[in-house]
Order: sequence, then structure tokens, then C-alpha cells
Amino acid sequence: MSESALLLEIAGLNAGYGEIEVLHGIDLQVRDGEFVCIIGANTAGKSTILRAISRLVPHVTGTLRFAGADLAGRASHEIPALGIAHVPEGRHVFADMTVEENLLLGAFTLRHQPDLPARMDGVFELFPRLRERRAQLAGTLSGGEQQMVAVGRALMLQPRLLLLDEPSHGLAPKVVEEMHDAFTTIHRRGTSILLVEQNVGLALDVATRGYVLESGRIALQGSSAELNQNPAVRAAYLGI
Amino acid sequence: MKRWIAIAAVIAVAAVLPLLLNPTGYWIRILTFTLLFAAMAQVWNIIGGLANQTSLGHAAFFGIGAYTSTILLLKFGLSPWIGMFAGGLLGGIAALIIAVPTMRLQGHYFALATLAFGEVMRVIANVWTPLTGGPGGLSVPFMPPSVAAYSFKQLLPHAYIALIALIVVTFIFEAIRRGAMGYRLRAIKENAAAAEVIGIDTTKVKLQTAVISGVLMAMLGTLYAQVAVFFDPDTVFSAASISIRVALIAILGGVGTAIGPILGALFIIPVEELMNDLFSASAAGLSQLIFGVILIAVILWRPRGFITVFDAMVARLSGRAGS
Repeated sequence: MSESALLLEIAGLNAGYGEIEVLHGIDLQVRDGEFVCIIGANTAGKSTILRAISRLVPHVTGTLRFAGADLAGRASHEIPALGIAHVPEGRHVFADMTVEENLLLGAFTLRHQPDLPARMDGVFELFPRLRERRAQLAGTLSGGEQQMVAVGRALMLQPRLLLLDEPSHGLAPKVVEEMHDAFTTIHRRGTSILLVEQNVGLALDVATRGYVLESGRIALQGSSAELNQNPAVRAAYLGI
Repeated sequence: MKRWIAIAAVIAVAAVLPLLLNPTGYWIRILTFTLLFAAMAQVWNIIGGLANQTSLGHAAFFGIGAYTSTILLLKFGLSPWIGMFAGGLLGGIAALIIAVPTMRLQGHYFALATLAFGEVMRVIANVWTPLTGGPGGLSVPFMPPSVAAYSFKQLLPHAYIALIALIVVTFIFEAIRRGAMGYRLRAIKENAAAAEVIGIDTTKVKLQTAVISGVLMAMLGTLYAQVAVFFDPDTVFSAASISIRVALIAILGGVGTAIGPILGALFIIPVEELMNDLFSASAAGLSQLIFGVILIAVILWRPRGFITVFDAMVARLSGRAGS
């Protein structure tokens, strides 16, 4: 089996806020075209990994490379232009802007954007409900729809790597399922995904490979099938 | 199209109004200051309304502008028109210096830091006597009246200059608000975390806003110096009568809107004058108290500013026209 090129490479990553170190020596890779998930309990540091990639964490040491480029020393606003789109935890939409304006702002860093309507159509195909609500203020949408806006906004960048931070948190089960179907579609269209998820069962369902994070360290890693069969994972996270 | 006709009509009325007033009288002076303060509040509105950073130190830039052009005129005979741009440059530099350390502050913390900066400038102007004349202030020397020398016998030209300034800064405000920069600022205002991850350089945008506002405020300082003819550190660097007043005008009128500062100034400046005129002879200090009570009442009545009254009127008028 031939392996595709390394897209994201993290080695010996330590990260924290002020005096407190949250991540201790993380090694993690995402290959081109992979769908990888990070699972683990609350406060294990899952979100901090994504925030470190996006340069949103103040204190970071270790190697962070994306498609051959060193991420160290870059400012957070420079990251999207490299092809990394981040959907932060909690539905961070621009509440007083329309759905359309939210989506357009996602492609804001691109200088030449002749294909914006086509990109927006791509998002509407994925989330037909957003097409109906394109002129509505994002703040008036339901929680699930707001999450669709946040994901759609990230997709406007046509990223090589999509970072998803707890996208199903606080959503109704039916919406969660819809959301995960969308992620599978996005992956099939060729975008690599790094998903942080508390819902371990769902995460291992959609992702091909996973890392288990415990207290800021990688405790386990393997294919989703392996992790699904692992007795420790089953006991701790799947409640079986 | 309809909108542009309305704007042109308002400008035409504003352009005719000064001609109806006694050119040497009291009201033309109030009109000039009303227009000037509306322009100042509009400039404040760029940072206070669009970037959502409540500055209470805009007197710093205003005073820098007034002093720069006047000192250049006194020492080198330089026309205030040129001095205005020199003041704008220094105002922009000052804005950058204060913005770099304070832009990460929010809300009250930013307000207090800028308030302190304005006060520091007042103290410096008071003690740097060789340059600023100290507490004694500066008199703008009388020049033979001409447009090139920015010197006029009457107030009428000053009223028109203030009107042009107001129109210019209002167009700048609208251009920023509707442009890419306005979108960036809105994004930061509505959700800083999301703005960051879509690639907006939040620090840079806020610094740009601060510098634009600082440059324009300093240029208006020159306009003030030329009308007032005399000023001292406690007037142009005043926290109460400049910094807080321009913020108040914008907030009372409707913060973040182009019409707000104009409505605010049209109310505050004449009412304050009227109160002073009515009560200062009978009971000094009473006028300020009454003025304060009126301001509190207005803010309780319309917390989001006069703009809400204005919007309701426009809605009613256009509704009637439609039916």
C-alpha cells in the first residue's frame, strides 16, 4: 500500500497558556487525503492541538510543519492562506451578518476570487438549508444551522486541511448525524480533515485513523477499526 | 439614486444656512462650532463606532494639530493649510504610539488608557513653555485676510470650511464602513475568535483605524485653532470639553452610524450654548447641572441614540409616500 505525502507533521509539541503546560510531547501526522480524529476526555488538550496549529496558543515549542512549510513564527492570520481552515469550538458565526456575508468572509484572504459563486454553490450543495437562508442573519439561525455556516465559511477557502473542533457539541442527535454525513462528503471531495470530537463512537465512525489523548499525551493511536476494538477505548469512551 | 438626491438636498440646505445668519453674529459662531464638533465626533466614530474601541483621549490628537499648525505659523510663517498636514502627520504618529500598547485592551481598560494619554499631553503642553507658551497659551497671529493664509475677517468662511470638513470626514467614514476594512472591523466586533481563524489580522486593522482617526482629528485641531484664534493646553487637550464631549456626541447621536454624530452635535452644541446663555448670569454652574440632567434624560429616553428617532421618522415618511 503506497502512502500519500505527509500534509501535517507535528513532533515533540509542547503547548500551554502562561505557566500551565497543556500538551506534552505530542507526535501526530496527517497524510494528504486522510480523515484523522483526536479523541479523549474533556480537558485532555484536544482543542489545544488545533489551536496550536492555527497559532492561537501563546506558548508553543516543537515541530509544526504543513505541506513542507514551517508554521513556527507565523501569525495566526497567515495560517488560512496556507490552506488550513479552522472551525473553532462553539458556534463562532458573525451573528449580525447574513449567511452569505459569513460565507464570503471565509474566502476573505484570497486575493483573486473569480469563482466565489461556484464555491458558495459547493457549500449550498452540501448544506441545502443554507441556500434557503442565505439572506438571513446568522444570529437568528438554529444551533445546527449556525454550525453549518461555520463549516461552510471554512470550506469557502477550499482548504487542503480542515480543522474541526467539537462540531457536534450541543447539537441534536439528528443534526449531528447530518453533520457527520457532510464531513464524509467533504472528505470524499478531497479535503483532508483533522477532527476533534468528544463523541468517540461517531468520530471513529467517520474518521479512518485516530489518536487517543490523555492528560496532554498521546495514549494510543491506530486505525479507527483497531481503536474500536481496543478494550481500553471501549471501556473508557464507548461504555461497553 | 433616491438616497443620493436626499444627501444632495441636505448638503444644499446646509450650504445655504450660513448665508441666512448674521455674518458677525452669535449664531454663526455656534453653527461653526456645531459643524466642527460634528466632524470631530465623526472622526471619533471611526475608532469608537467601527472598531468598537471607546477612546477617551482624542483631545491628544486634536491638541497636537492645533499646536503644530500654530507653532509652524508663529515660528516659520508657514500657512496653516500646510501646518494642518504636518499636524495630521504628527497626530498619526501619536495615534500609532498610543495604539500599539493599548489596542489589545478592551472596554473600560482601553478608555482609561486613552484618557490618561490625553491628560499626559495636556501636562506636557503646560510645562514645555519654550515651544507651547505653557499655561499662557498661544495666539494665532493675525495675517492679511486671504484664502492662502487661512485668514478671514468674518466667521462665514470658517463655517464653510467646517461644513466641507464634516462632509469629507463623513464620506471617509462611510467609505471605510462599506469597504473591505469595514467588513474586517465588523467581523472583529462580532466575533474576534472567528475573525482570527478566517485570516483577519486583527491588530493591524485596529492600528489602521486608530491612525486614520488620529490623523483626521489632528487636522481638525488646526481648523479649531484658526477659528478660536487663541487657545491654551487646558482647552485643546481638555478631557471634558474635547475627549469626552466628542465621544458623547457620537454616542448620543448613534454610535457607528454616519448620521449619528451629526444629529448628536446638532443637539448638544446649541443646547449647551443655550443653557449657558440662559443661566450663567443668574446662577453660575447651574447651566452645567441642567445640561447634565438633559443629557441623562435623553440617554434614558433613547439609549441607542437619536438615530433611532431619525430612522423612525424616515420610515414613517417613506411609508406615507408609498401609500
